[in-house]
Amino acid sequence: MIATQLLVNAAALGAAYALVAVGFVLVLNATTAVNFAHGESVVAGGFAAVALANLLPPDIAVPGLILLPGVLAVSALLGLAIGALAYLPIRNRPPVSVFVTTIAVGIIIANGLNAGFGAAPRSAPSLIGTGGFEFLGATISRQSLAIIATATLLIAGLAGLLQRTQLGRQFRACAQDPEMARALGIRLTRITLMAFALGTAFAGVAGLLLAHQFFVSASDGSVLILKAYIAVVIGGWGSLRGAAAGALLIAVFEVGIAAIASQPVAEGALYIAVLLVLFVRPQGLFGEPQQVRA
Amino acid sequence: MNLRNHIPAAAVGIVLVVYATAFASSYDQRLLALSGVYVILVLGYQFIFGHAGALSLAQGAFFGAGAYATGILATRWGLGFLATFPLSIAFAALLAALVAAPVLRLRTHYFALATLALAQLLLLVAVNWEGFTGGANGLSGVPPISILGWQAPRGLPLVTAVWVVAGIAILLARQQMNPVRRAAFAVARDTPLAAPAFGIDAGLLRFRAFILSAGFGGAAGALFVHTNRVVSPETLGFGVMVTCLTMTVVGGRSRIAGALIGALLLTHMPEWLRGLESYYLVAMGALLLAMVLFAPDGLASLLPAPKSRSGPAVIPEPAVFAEAFAGPPATLDASGLHKSFGGIRALGDLSLTLASGEIAGVIGPNGAGKTTLANALTGIAPPDAGTVHFAGRAISGLAPHDIARAGLTRTFQTPQLPPALDVQAIVATARNHAGSQSEAPAVVDALAFCGLADMASVPAGTLPHGLRRRVEICRAIVSRPSVLVLDEPAAGLTPEEQAEIGTLCRALSDAGMAILLIDHNVGFLRPIADRLVCMAEGRILADGSPDTVLTDPAVRAAYFGMDA
Amino acid sequence: MMPDTTPALEIRNVTVRHGGVTAVRDASLTAQAGEITALLGVNGAGKTSLLRGIVGLAATNGEIRLDGHEIGARTTEDRIRAGLAWVPEGRRVFPGLTVAENLEVAGPSDSATRRERLTDVVARFPQLADRLGDRAWQLSGGQQQMLAIGRALMARPRVYLLDEPSLGLSPAVADILAESLRTLAAEGAAVLLAEQNAGFAHPLAVRRYMLRNGEMGAD
Repeated sequence: MIATQLLVNAAALGAAYALVAVGFVLVLNATTAVNFAHGESVVAGGFAAVALANLLPPDIAVPGLILLPGVLAVSALLGLAIGALAYLPIRNRPPVSVFVTTIAVGIIIANGLNAGFGAAPRSAPSLIGTGGFEFLGATISRQSLAIIATATLLIAGLAGLLQRTQLGRQFRACAQDPEMARALGIRLTRITLMAFALGTAFAGVAGLLLAHQFFVSASDGSVLILKAYIAVVIGGWGSLRGAAAGALLIAVFEVGIAAIASQPVAEGALYIAVLLVLFVRPQGLFGEPQQVRA
Repeated sequence: MNLRNHIPAAAVGIVLVVYATAFASSYDQRLLALSGVYVILVLGYQFIFGHAGALSLAQGAFFGAGAYATGILATRWGLGFLATFPLSIAFAALLAALVAAPVLRLRTHYFALATLALAQLLLLVAVNWEGFTGGANGLSGVPPISILGWQAPRGLPLVTAVWVVAGIAILLARQQMNPVRRAAFAVARDTPLAAPAFGIDAGLLRFRAFILSAGFGGAAGALFVHTNRVVSPETLGFGVMVTCLTMTVVGGRSRIAGALIGALLLTHMPEWLRGLESYYLVAMGALLLAMVLFAPDGLASLLPAPKSRSGPAVIPEPAVFAEAFAGPPATLDASGLHKSFGGIRALGDLSLTLASGEIAGVIGPNGAGKTTLANALTGIAPPDAGTVHFAGRAISGLAPHDIARAGLTRTFQTPQLPPALDVQAIVATARNHAGSQSEAPAVVDALAFCGLADMASVPAGTLPHGLRRRVEICRAIVSRPSVLVLDEPAAGLTPEEQAEIGTLCRALSDAGMAILLIDHNVGFLRPIADRLVCMAEGRILADGSPDTVLTDPAVRAAYFGMDA
Repeated sequence: MMPDTTPALEIRNVTVRHGGVTAVRDASLTAQAGEITALLGVNGAGKTSLLRGIVGLAATNGEIRLDGHEIGARTTEDRIRAGLAWVPEGRRVFPGLTVAENLEVAGPSDSATRRERLTDVVARFPQLADRLGDRAWQLSGGQQQMLAIGRALMARPRVYLLDEPSLGLSPAVADILAESLRTLAAEGAAVLLAEQNAGFAHPLAVRRYMLRNGEMGAD
């Protein structure tokens, strides 16, 4: 059934987008600043997978799962670098400055990758092998399952970390009142850098997952950050759950409209939709708890 | 004296002309033409990013809009430059006007997103509407600039044409961003809370800046297409936006010299960095990062600041009488004011009358609602219910800048002064937005009255606290208000400074101004206030002469036995 | 009290700058362990600025000593870990965290000790007992105040800096608050209580300081 197929495709795409969006919100909560290099971090993860895959012997078909730890490590390091270079030095300046520094870092990453790997789109190995099976009239590829499973595990793991551990509580405290968190002895700088590392690691994994089917090229970053941004606007600024939900919605929207019309129309419809949302509700779909007390 | 300011600019101009005519190869001339195009683009971006302080990511889109307008009109309908150029500018400006109203309301992170989405949308249209825009390949064969038969092919004629337009753009930018406008923008950007209290309509300023940025962007795009002879989706891509942003940050975000520096430098940099080949874009990104971290004001900040034009040659003896600052006598009548924030009641059925020439002190513990009252009266946080009448008019629904123009001004608990502006510019901003207060006194008079005559050119950021307070008060009275609301004017002042403020207030009220003085410091209020109003929990506990109110047991209880 | 006991907290000639203003000039005070010391003054007198200066959230000149050790050069996080605790005006409990989470996040890294101390805090403030799973924004002002103090307790600090804890509390709740402060002092901590409400602070404090417009005078 076409509908089932579309649903499966949307679920897989949405799962990958959710990883991107959740990573984005993690950094957003820690810094109240938008990390414009987040999209490029996804791309960097994809290219890391490509590079690591090249290190493996070519005639043995190795599942991409082996690349996962490497991609996580590289992405986490990248996140630390972004946090240390583009955020910490200017954390007391207005948020606009962080926009510009992270845009700059994004440029560095995108063009560095372009120069290093070339402009042609590249593909990474699938996570647990190719092939798929029939179910309810739809073809479910192993990769789709792998994406859904990986994303679910990672996001659930993150939720567990945030809700049940001391570190997670510290994360949440820093997001709600960074000064008070410091005044309880919580090491704010450390937590902030960890947020960058974790958030970028999520982005990197998403890059690995997307690179097999959708290929990855150095210029993909700006569309990805835009979608993460949109997911957060839909789901509520600062809400991890909302970001994941928003990401799923974007995927459903994209896959659905692309099936009826075309890919460009789907993208255009998405942008028009978000512009309409912002015009009608300038505070975002679910708003922010914001009261300006005199 | 004015001419002296222009010598460095003229020198640079002469150098460029000599270089272009005598030394530049045809490739160099092309770069020079490109620089001129980018100068216009960056000048436009400075309006919205530098002056209005809003991170717009649509500047590249406006560039592309102008580019495509010219490309399509020229290749499909064979229109000449005199038609395509203005139409391209109009198209870009129209685009901006269409989205301006909803987009400009958005706060920073949403504004950036909306402009980004807009840019991506335009790119999608350009790439996919092949029949009209030529799709991914774009349109080629765009004719050179031709004005009434005179053509501007590549080389010197093109460079000349582009830089003539750039010159016009510079003059236009200077005219639009004269010192008065600059100051108004600085106030709206650095102290958004205070701006409306001085008649500044920040929304209108931002709108104007946005439209201007789009128009300039469109003009740059149109010229670009004439230098390239091809229009492609790249003109709408994020690359142009990044280039524009980098040039603005590197050059300087609000000085015209900055646009020149940024455009010239970054157009020629790829040549100098040619050895890096494909890594030169990485170098650009690194440069942008380094500039924000270490030199956020751009290279133009290294240049000496332009001398202010009006240096008074002969200072007439100012008439420093308080009468000059008191507006027509008016009564302020607030009745039944209610205000809640989330379930917390900040004002409950509060009624207050203030007669002209009266100083009423408002006291009360923390959270009593004193600042809420000030905000309700001045329109910054309008009441949920109740009315405020001022000089016979109902002002409770008006926008704060309209209330200010009607003659009700205020100061803030923390002085809201843009740190980079000098004292005179700050006071002048309020005077220039005084609306119909055409008999407003001169800025020099106001400065003299407040004892600030010696500090006219001092940047507000370097002033000690007591003087900053005085600047705030000076700014509030230069527009000849009838009612002045002072929010904790004595906080942080030495006893001598407090006495000075007290004397100022008494002089103003003797001249007919009504003053509402909110403060904790009863010692400061007692000698100068005609009346004391004690608030607690959003209501008025007592309202009467200072002695009566201060001996009222309810008032003493509200302060829990604190020493008066 | 032995005259040569090192005070738990001692500040000498401290000047605090805040937003371009000198909020406190040349202030000195001593707070001994086991005692409640009051810092009185009107709004705007500089009490909050002084406390913030001691904690390290505002720029200071002068000496700040905790149990004789100079801490003026340390970061806020380090001062807290050295035994200082700050309960700011308005309590500032983490609104989205539950009561239990608010307490835990302030506790030590060892989960067993943490749980022990949490039980202890709940025993001291029974009003919190059945609200452990509620988010902190749902609590009343008095409950939030208890939570804020309980949160500080989790670190077993030597010195408590409390900024206007009685603000907005009904007399009955203020009494409970007063009692809890007495207990803290009795257990050996030094309590520095900044208040504009002299009626609350007078009966509690053995030593009083007065701040007027940034200048300190002893009572």
